[in-house]
Amino acid sequence: MTPPAVVQAALDCGLSMVAICDHNSAGNVAATQEAARAARARDVRQSTDADPCGVLSVIPGMEITTAEEIHVVGLFPGADAAQAAATEVQATLPEVDAEYYRRFGPQRQLDARGRLVGMERRMLAAASTLSLAQTVALIHRHGGLAVAAHVDRPSFSVLSQLGMFPTDAGFDAIELFVPCGWPGGSASRPVQDPQHWTVGGLPIVWSSDAHFLNDVGRCRTAFTMMAPTFAELVQALRGVDGRSVRGA
Amino acid sequence: MKLNELAAQLGLECLASTPQADQAEITAGYVSDLLSDVLAHAPRGGVLVTVQVHLNVVAVAVHAGLAAIVFALGRRPDDVVCARAREEGIALYASTLPAFELVGRLYAAGVRGTAA
Repeated sequence: MTPPAVVQAALDCGLSMVAICDHNSAGNVAATQEAARAARARDVRQSTDADPCGVLSVIPGMEITTAEEIHVVGLFPGADAAQAAATEVQATLPEVDAEYYRRFGPQRQLDARGRLVGMERRMLAAASTLSLAQTVALIHRHGGLAVAAHVDRPSFSVLSQLGMFPTDAGFDAIELFVPCGWPGGSASRPVQDPQHWTVGGLPIVWSSDAHFLNDVGRCRTAFTMMAPTFAELVQALRGVDGRSVRGA
Repeated sequence: MKLNELAAQLGLECLASTPQADQAEITAGYVSDLLSDVLAHAPRGGVLVTVQVHLNVVAVAVHAGLAAIVFALGRRPDDVVCARAREEGIALYASTLPAFELVGRLYAAGVRGTAA
């Protein structure tokens, strides 16, 4: 899962926008944005009709583990905002030791070419001490969108941890990971129609929750919007001026 | 044993209660921090031991018909949670003891889990 490999995997399966959401870290966001720009420059050199569809937009994100062990995806307007939010989250995490790396694997920070530039020094697999309410507020304070991650999963989801969905939690969207086309996915369940699947009136996004390259694009969302940007994403989730969100 | 007697025996700090809850006879208990699990498996009329302090713990307790919640390891819910518990007639207690120790002492006092 190096930045250039993620970018290539996303382009290969026809995605035009991805969010980079390491656990409790935004340490690989800027490098992936740079890798996407590099891939674009390379494509332009190789192609005579610079195809705008070859552009991959990389949204800065982070999957935060709250004190209740709920995963909340924060999507941010820029890498700086994501990093500022990550710094606050990481201040509540324990420092790593050699044993931790051995058990959980190294926490690499890579550059745009996939070279090792550093290691995360906090236990990213641990839960922060921030409550759900504090986490959502933190994301919003940094201009971000708070998404209830994989609510249909039996662990680390709002429903598994809290039993029922708190409609006043301040979420901007709910994420499902039902891979479209899988048994139980969109082919046999009407999960694609947000009219039938809303919780507290929140829009639903479908995400791959990819932890491995093969997972990239296994589940995706079609946004109807002017451009694959964070600002448009915000408006699409709110359904502004005909913009919309649906499973794809 | 009545809830208020149990609380006194275990040295629990009362965060919210009602006279009716105080007199509830407690015979069963459950321990979990996953509220989906509590919702599905906690015994009616029982006591829940948990470190989960989100407001939903009260809503889930109401659904499950629990009489009381004991927060372990010094975890304390917000005032909003205590106020809601009072409205709903759920008693809340706090203890600095870990959940394992609390459950052991509850068992010794005659409180049981439901048989599988």
